[in-house]
Amino acid sequence: MHVKDGVLKYGFVGPALIFLIAFNIFPLLYNIYLSFTDAELSGGLARFVGGRNYGVIFDDTRYGVALCTTGLFVVLAVAVELVLGFGLALALRGPFWGKSVVTTILLVPMMLSPAVMGLYWNFILNGHYGVVNQALAVLGLFQPQWLTDPDLKLLSILMIDIWMWTPFMMLIALAGLNAIPPHLYEAAALDRASNWTVFRRVTLPLCSPLLFLAVLLRTTDALKQFDLVMAVTGPNDRTTQTLSALLYQVMFRGYKIGLGSAYSLVILLLVIVLANVFIRYIASIQAKQGRDVA
Amino acid sequence: MGDPFLKIDNLSKVYGETHALSDIFLFLHAGELLVVLGPTGAGKTTLLRIIAGLEVPDAGRVVVEGMDMTHCLPAERDVALVFQNFSLYPNKTVRQNLEFPLRAPGRNLSKTEIANRISDTANLLRIAPLLDRPATHLSGGEMQRVAIGRAIVRQPRLFLFDEPLTNLDAKLREVLRVELIRLQRDLGTPMIYVTHDRVEALSMGDRIAVLSEGKILQIGSPEDIYQRPNSPVVARQLGYPPINLIEVHKRADQWFTASNHGIVAADRNAPQRATLGIRPENIFPHGGEIPATIEAVENLGASTILLGTWADRPIHILITGETQWHPGDVIYPSVDPNRVVVWERRNEE
Repeated sequence: MHVKDGVLKYGFVGPALIFLIAFNIFPLLYNIYLSFTDAELSGGLARFVGGRNYGVIFDDTRYGVALCTTGLFVVLAVAVELVLGFGLALALRGPFWGKSVVTTILLVPMMLSPAVMGLYWNFILNGHYGVVNQALAVLGLFQPQWLTDPDLKLLSILMIDIWMWTPFMMLIALAGLNAIPPHLYEAAALDRASNWTVFRRVTLPLCSPLLFLAVLLRTTDALKQFDLVMAVTGPNDRTTQTLSALLYQVMFRGYKIGLGSAYSLVILLLVIVLANVFIRYIASIQAKQGRDVA
Repeated sequence: MGDPFLKIDNLSKVYGETHALSDIFLFLHAGELLVVLGPTGAGKTTLLRIIAGLEVPDAGRVVVEGMDMTHCLPAERDVALVFQNFSLYPNKTVRQNLEFPLRAPGRNLSKTEIANRISDTANLLRIAPLLDRPATHLSGGEMQRVAIGRAIVRQPRLFLFDEPLTNLDAKLREVLRVELIRLQRDLGTPMIYVTHDRVEALSMGDRIAVLSEGKILQIGSPEDIYQRPNSPVVARQLGYPPINLIEVHKRADQWFTASNHGIVAADRNAPQRATLGIRPENIFPHGGEIPATIEAVENLGASTILLGTWADRPIHILITGETQWHPGDVIYPSVDPNRVVVWERRNEE
C-alpha cells in the first residue's frame, strides 16, 4: 500500500493533536470564557458578567492571604529542598560502601503518592496518637499540636513537602555533578586550587544549569500545592490555604464555576510568568558557558 | 653534571589484572625534552599522571631535584600538565582560565604581576585577541593554545604534555609542533612529551623513550632509536613507510630468507638465525639479483613508495623523487649491508 507523505504526516500527528485540543486547548479557552460569566455548578444559565469575577478576586481578602501563604510555602520549600538536596548529592558523590542502597532509600519518598503520604503524615503527626508525639512523650518533651496549632500547621506541611521532594533535588544535583568531567578537577588540583575555589569556580557553575532546572520544576510544582494541604488540614484552613486550595474551595465547595475559573487563570498566569523568568535565566547561563558544557 | 632533574625509579602500577607500568626507570635532565613514544594503551598517560601526582604508583619512586615526591599532592609538585582534551574551565573566559592557576592560595602575586604574566603568555602563544572570549567559543587549536598558556603562565618547574596535538588537524599539528619546540627551548623548562605520533617523537625529542605494554623498551636520541633500534617492536614504532622486517638464516656469509633467497651479505660474526630490519630508504630498486614485482606505487611528491613482493614477501621501498616504475614492473632490489639492523632469533621464537 502506498500512502502519500502528506497524508502520513497528518496520520501521525492527528491523534495527538485532537487529544491536545480536546483536553488542553479547548478547556483553557472555555475556562477563559467561563471566567467572564457567573456560571455555577448547581446549573442555571451562565450570564456574561464582564470583569466582575476578577474584581471579586482582588477584593477578596482570602486571595491575598492565599497568595502570601503560597509564596511563603514555595520560597521556603524550594530553598530548603535545594540546599538539602545539593548537600546530599555532594555527600553521595564519591564512592563508598553501600552507596546504591543509601541512594535508593533516599529516593523512596519521591516515589510515593503525595495524597497517600499526606494521610500517613496525618497519622504520624497526630497530636494524640501520632508516633512523633508519643516519642516526645516518652522522652518527656513538649508535644506540639502539629496539625491543629495555627502556628505549626503550615510548618508541618512544609516539612512533609521537604521530606518528599528533597530526594528529587538530590537526584538532579547528582546528575549535574556526575556530568562534570573529572579532568577539570585534576586540572584544578594541578593548578593548586583550594577545595573552596574548586567548589565555587568549577562545581557550582557547572552544576547550576541543572540546579536551576530543578528549582524551576519544584517551584511550578509547589505553586500548585494542593494534595498535602487537602490531606493534612483540608482546603478551607486560613493558615494553610494555598491558591490551589482556595480555588478548590471556591469551585467545588462553593460551586462558583465562573469565579473559580477566574482564580485558576490568575494562578496560571503567575506560573507562566515565573517559569519564563527561570527559563530565560537558565538559557543565559548556558549561553555564557557555551553549548558544550563538557 | 650531577643528579638528573627528575628520576623515575623502578615504578610500577597495576590496575586489576593489567600491568599498566612495570619497573620503569627514567631520568630527565634540566632543560631536556623527553618524548615518551608508544601506542595507545602502552601506559604513557599513566606515567604522566603518576609524575603529576594524579595517581599513586604501586611501587617505585618519583624523585624531583633530589626530593622524593611519590606521595606528594599534585599541588605540591609545581608541575603543569596539558591534557589531550584541553580541559579548559568551560564557564570562564580565556583570561580567567589563565588567571586561575595564578590566583591559587599561597602564590600571592600582585595584580600587575598577574596582568603582566597573562599578557606575556598571550603574546607568546598569539592568543591575545582571544583573552575575553568564553573558553567554549574557541576552535580546537585555540583551545589547545590556551591550555598550553595555562601551563606556562605558572612558570612551573616541569611540563607534562599528554598528546596535546592529537585532537587537532594535521596542518595545525605541524604549526604547533614547531611552536612547542621553540617554546620549550626559550623557557628552558624540562618537558616530558607523550605521543603516539612518530613524526612528533623524531622531530621534538632530545631523547625518546619507547614504551610498550607498560615497559620501556629503549631510551636514546632520535637517531639512536631510528638507526639502531634494539628490537623489532621499537623499530616498528618509528619511520614511514614502516621498516621491513625479514626473518633470515645465515649461510655462506649471506642472509637467506625462508624461501631460500640470498638477499644481502651477512657479517662473519652474525648469529645463525636473525630478524633483519631494513629501512625502506636503504633498499635500492636496482643492483640486486632477486627479482621483485611492483604492486603499487605511492607518489608522495618529494619521494615515492614502491610496494612489491620480493623473495616471496611484501616489501616497502622508498625512493626520492619521481619514479619511472609502474605496477607490474619487475625490479632487482639491492640492500646496503651496512644499513641493516640484525636481531638474533632464539629457538623458541
